[in-house]
Amino acid sequence: MTEPVVRAERFGYAYPEGSRVALHDVSLQLEPGTFTVLAGVSGSGKSTLLRAMAGLVPHFHGGEAGGELVVGGLGVREHGPGELAAVCGTVFQEPETQVVMGGVRAELELPLEHRGEAPAALARAVEETALALGVGHLLERRTDTLSGGELQRVALAAAMVHGPQLLLLDEPTSQLDPVAGDELVWLLRRLNEDWGTAVVVAEHRLERCLPAADRVIALVEGRVACDAPPQEYLAWAAEAMPALATPAARLFSLAGLPGRPASVKEARAGLREAGLLADAEPARGSRGRESSDGGLLRRILGRADRPPPALAMRGVWLEIEDGPTVLRGLDLLLRPGERVALMGRNGAGKSTLLRLAKGLAEPTRGRVERAGEVALLLQTPGDYLIHEHAVEDAGAAGVAAAGLAGREQANPRDLSGGERQRLALEVVLAGGPCAAVLLDEPTRGMDRAHKDGLAARIGELAGAGAAVVVATHDTEFAASFADRVVLLGQGNVIGDGPPDEVLGGGRHFSTEVARVTGGAALLPEEAARVLATAEPPAAVREVAP
Amino acid sequence: MTVIPTYRSRPSALHAARAGVGAGFCFALALAGALYRHPLILAGALGGIVVAGLAAGVGREVARSLRLALPLALVIAVVNAVVYQGGETLLVRGGEFLGRRWDVTLEAAAEGAFVGLRIVVLIAALGGLMSAAVDPDQLLKALRRVSYRSALTATLATRLVPVLARDAGRMGDARRCRPHPPGRLAVVRAALAGSLDRAVDVAAALEVRGYALAGRPERGRRPWSRHDLRIAAAAIVVAAVAIAGAAGGAGHVEAYPTLDVALGPAELGIAAAFVVLGAAPFTGRGARMGLRND
Repeated sequence: MTEPVVRAERFGYAYPEGSRVALHDVSLQLEPGTFTVLAGVSGSGKSTLLRAMAGLVPHFHGGEAGGELVVGGLGVREHGPGELAAVCGTVFQEPETQVVMGGVRAELELPLEHRGEAPAALARAVEETALALGVGHLLERRTDTLSGGELQRVALAAAMVHGPQLLLLDEPTSQLDPVAGDELVWLLRRLNEDWGTAVVVAEHRLERCLPAADRVIALVEGRVACDAPPQEYLAWAAEAMPALATPAARLFSLAGLPGRPASVKEARAGLREAGLLADAEPARGSRGRESSDGGLLRRILGRADRPPPALAMRGVWLEIEDGPTVLRGLDLLLRPGERVALMGRNGAGKSTLLRLAKGLAEPTRGRVERAGEVALLLQTPGDYLIHEHAVEDAGAAGVAAAGLAGREQANPRDLSGGERQRLALEVVLAGGPCAAVLLDEPTRGMDRAHKDGLAARIGELAGAGAAVVVATHDTEFAASFADRVVLLGQGNVIGDGPPDEVLGGGRHFSTEVARVTGGAALLPEEAARVLATAEPPAAVREVAP
Repeated sequence: MTVIPTYRSRPSALHAARAGVGAGFCFALALAGALYRHPLILAGALGGIVVAGLAAGVGREVARSLRLALPLALVIAVVNAVVYQGGETLLVRGGEFLGRRWDVTLEAAAEGAFVGLRIVVLIAALGGLMSAAVDPDQLLKALRRVSYRSALTATLATRLVPVLARDAGRMGDARRCRPHPPGRLAVVRAALAGSLDRAVDVAAALEVRGYALAGRPERGRRPWSRHDLRIAAAAIVVAAVAIAGAAGGAGHVEAYPTLDVALGPAELGIAAAFVVLGAAPFTGRGARMGLRND
């Protein structure tokens, strides 16, 4: 019988100074060459378990460990991260701080130098790994010129360059745009299939990883709550923790359909089998696309009694000196109370647009008109939290509005990512009512429960009359909160309309449920309603790829 | 854009040469600044640095280092002119203040300018040309054989400076986004705390890359390319000219009591040699880089 690559027997761990017990009685066994996904809400112990497998827990972080955890034949309580590095490679969340050298080649050489590899073997390993992981063209680049996706791939190559039998990844796609995230998951799948490397990845966006996974381990409050193949895990999640189910699995659960699909393909097959997916042009459900005439007429009639814009950008250009033209004569009007998702690929100009709207930068040409104060929450909430106590940053009212009443004296660094995001939002809102509230990528690394909380807060702000604009790559989140989606591309607006119009028919900018149902619905709840009310077999129709 | 130029790979003979050789070439040009005070020779060395920078495609970076160095040189020149009272040729009679005279002499002003020019040459050679055209990773890799941990620390510092600069810029923007902006001190304190967090993350990344096992890296045997040979030859000749000239008494400058600057064939020859040698490794068929996908 093959020796498992990871074996845990009642492994437990508590962080130092008795702050909290992170893992309780974790028992599991991972076979070589398997692809395992770690699921769980924020703070459930996923990162801690990965850090324990890498030897950082307890050697780097301190604290108390109990039970047994053996990785590649080495007990983590006896062997530190240096020794465990021989059997496992580790990739963390933040691309910026895990790439330690100035050049890509030097980054890939470093782990081999640490192991004392001879120069010839080192050179060959670097070349082969770089080519296999698609970073060969980056070898001579400086790391500070790479995009987040490129940095993450370089970090992956550095983790794999010595050929470890186990690869550990802690939310490796959370800081990446969807394209870079998908590319990284494809790479992991290839490493797993071609090289036979066992992969353990912690991830919030399970729909991205589940098609590649052999099994899923769900952690709840530091304990293993489910350890099963993807379909069985989804069946468990649909019953026990819907927040950990994928949108397609939630759709099947809500619609009372059998099986829990782990991919869009499986979901479509399931619908087809149930006679709910016909082979024809896409039909739209209750949120289907409006006829263009009707929509236009309504827009013209509605224009007369519309309130003045909360924020208007007229003919805005931004041309960077010695650099690209980011915005090209962009026109955008935002009405009070609108909830707008601003989408587009990386570099499309979303963040730039928000900065111009706030006044952090000036357009090269064109005008930005604001009806009042504009609040902007930039991508890193920690940048707003500069004091020792939450109350000093946001005030007592802000702490309460962030849902953190009773934790006024907490150090913002000790809060979870979602809590920091909410607190930082209250910091920028502390000036009183705003004409517009702008949020830049607020859901990165957030679990579903926190996203639901954020969507509710956005609803409150819009209800109070602010135009709320959220730059996001997260189509599911956009569909859940927005009443308008603006798509940027080539420095201008290339799509603007209700979510079902923009996200229902897109190839890339669409939700998982929209891909399953051919755009008939964007979210599981809505799709379940469509399926329940429509006549089979034409409930939803298959879209030609 | 950072104040200090940063290395970018470019298709030039200097970039293509091994880091130790490239650094040697820059140090040889800087040697002129260290050995001479003669304005013509220093101007020749500066000319050699500028020519080499232009030929290596880092003219902008060298110009940026000059923008950094010139105000510093000016300050040195002014301070020397005002503070040092030697010299017989009075330019400005400054009167008495704080119990001493504040006259400005031609000799003190000239001496300050020579020292300033020296600083400019050193900064342009090392802070401009070398920073922009010599791969710090390769250079530090060579040093890791001498002192592994010190060299790795230097590498990390080089890597983290732009990261921390970006962090500080972001925190500045966040400060501007707050309705009640906090004091700069609070932001600086938070930025420092953030840099410690960054340092912890980097330390963790190093640990999982096997840092604890690190020993002295093996020396790699790499054949010398034509660019290595040409740059090394130019570096040796520049250093030889500089040392031989200084040993032979060329570049004589005496500022006090009256200004005495030698201006003969030796000075002219050394200055011209520095310019020519700055350009030499980049000229001819041997310096061509061929087609590259960069």
